[in-house]
Amino acid sequence: MFREKYYSMNEQITPDQKLVDKIINSIDETKRETNKRRIVYRQSIIVFAVFIVLVFAAMPVLAGNIPVVYEIIYSISPSIAQRFIPVKKSCENDGIKMEVISAYIHGNTAEIYIAMRDLVGERIDETTDLYDSYSINRPFDASATCKLVSFDKTTKTATFLISITEWGNQKIVGDKITFSVREFISHKHEYNEIPINVDLTNIKNTQSTKQVWVNGGSGPKFEEYVSVPLAESKVKVLVPSSPMSFPVKDIDFTGIGYVDGMLHIQTSIINNLTKDNHGYFFLKDARGNNIQCDYHVGFVENSYSDNRIDYNEYVFDIPQSEIGQYSLYGTFVTSGLYTKGNWQVTFPLEEFKE
Amino acid sequence: MEQQPLETDDCIRNVIKLYSNMVYRLAFSQTRNKSNADDIYQEVFFRYIKKRPQFQTERHEKAWFIRVTINCCKKMWLSSWIKKIVPLDETIVFEFKEEINLHYELQKLPMKYRAVIHLFYYEDMSVEEISEMLNRKPSTVRTQLTRARYILKEILKEDYDV
Repeated sequence: MFREKYYSMNEQITPDQKLVDKIINSIDETKRETNKRRIVYRQSIIVFAVFIVLVFAAMPVLAGNIPVVYEIIYSISPSIAQRFIPVKKSCENDGIKMEVISAYIHGNTAEIYIAMRDLVGERIDETTDLYDSYSINRPFDASATCKLVSFDKTTKTATFLISITEWGNQKIVGDKITFSVREFISHKHEYNEIPINVDLTNIKNTQSTKQVWVNGGSGPKFEEYVSVPLAESKVKVLVPSSPMSFPVKDIDFTGIGYVDGMLHIQTSIINNLTKDNHGYFFLKDARGNNIQCDYHVGFVENSYSDNRIDYNEYVFDIPQSEIGQYSLYGTFVTSGLYTKGNWQVTFPLEEFKE
Repeated sequence: MEQQPLETDDCIRNVIKLYSNMVYRLAFSQTRNKSNADDIYQEVFFRYIKKRPQFQTERHEKAWFIRVTINCCKKMWLSSWIKKIVPLDETIVFEFKEEINLHYELQKLPMKYRAVIHLFYYEDMSVEEISEMLNRKPSTVRTQLTRARYILKEILKEDYDV
């Protein structure tokens, strides 16, 4: 349903013919301009080189008095760094301090640097992820993004850049916004392309299957094997077994077997809403080529209890007679720490004045 | 001596026509704004005309246009706060009300999810292809697809099954 609507909506989006003509007409103009540009090019390099020398000559003087975040901004663009207005509003909860360092407002967009620092422990590290758990309350409709831009080991401070763009193309200066964080995950561990010690030649057909409602999935053959919309039919999966030997902590290996001629591999994660552990399996053939699964489904047991279990099942369309030619590998990310709290800062959006 | 591109102007015209809609739709899917999509569309094809890159296969050619469009969108988000661009409030008029609603709901989707949604649902690309195209891990793409679907499902309630 969504695919059809999305497709139909996009089919109505086309560039104006004038725009297309402009591009096509520019083919000849570009040829003519190329020679001119080559002359200007060398002069530009000299000007740029002089500019870089001046910027870096000024850096040590500035860096002595500015926090780490300014050094980051200066390294990207000194002129922009000067336009950031210091905010310095902070709050502290459970030994973790959140501080709004600075903001830069321009038109309908606000760029805000926020630092989080653990004053008493090691809960914040370079893998800290606010994981969609931050919220931004503002008196205007807007879209916002938040990303980790740096981590300073000495001060144990993670710095995040929040970008907010107002939708109506109206100026947002003078408004107040509230940035709050209720939880975050940190101490992530990556298991990159690790071998999974399973003898694939011993994998048998399994009768131990069940039908479940799936809550998502992906893969090139996903729609071939899983009815969309997902709410309309069930999907055949392995009945989870007791966790077997698996090199990834906090992800359980709960099944492997052939079902209807396809290799099914199943993992489970308990209470994943507080972890965001995830990953995927792939096969390697004798030549070292990676073969991704044909489709993957996710399903949940005990959805509304404290013991929620999220299952993932990866399915490979490789005949049982050929599976001995492959080895099983996986890439996974797990988080070691989930921290809850209440950090909230309200601050005004002020514009830089020359 | 500088190597001259092999493509003739006619070839370039044909390539522009071939990828015109794809580039524009991808740009619009990212920006949800006509004037920004216009800017990105021009930037992508100006780059193509200037560089005249050679491709071994049509697949490589398509991948180049998708990557450059995504990069131009990222560049626009970064540079718009330098240039103080205030985009014109122009939009595209869709045929049905539910498509207009869908367009506005997609505006609420975080930027990082828009590309995966478009490449998966419109360009019919697999998670692995998207992962290669966006230089994100397949697991990240899967997670982003799942989260984007969840957000859309929440927003659109029972109107759409994604």
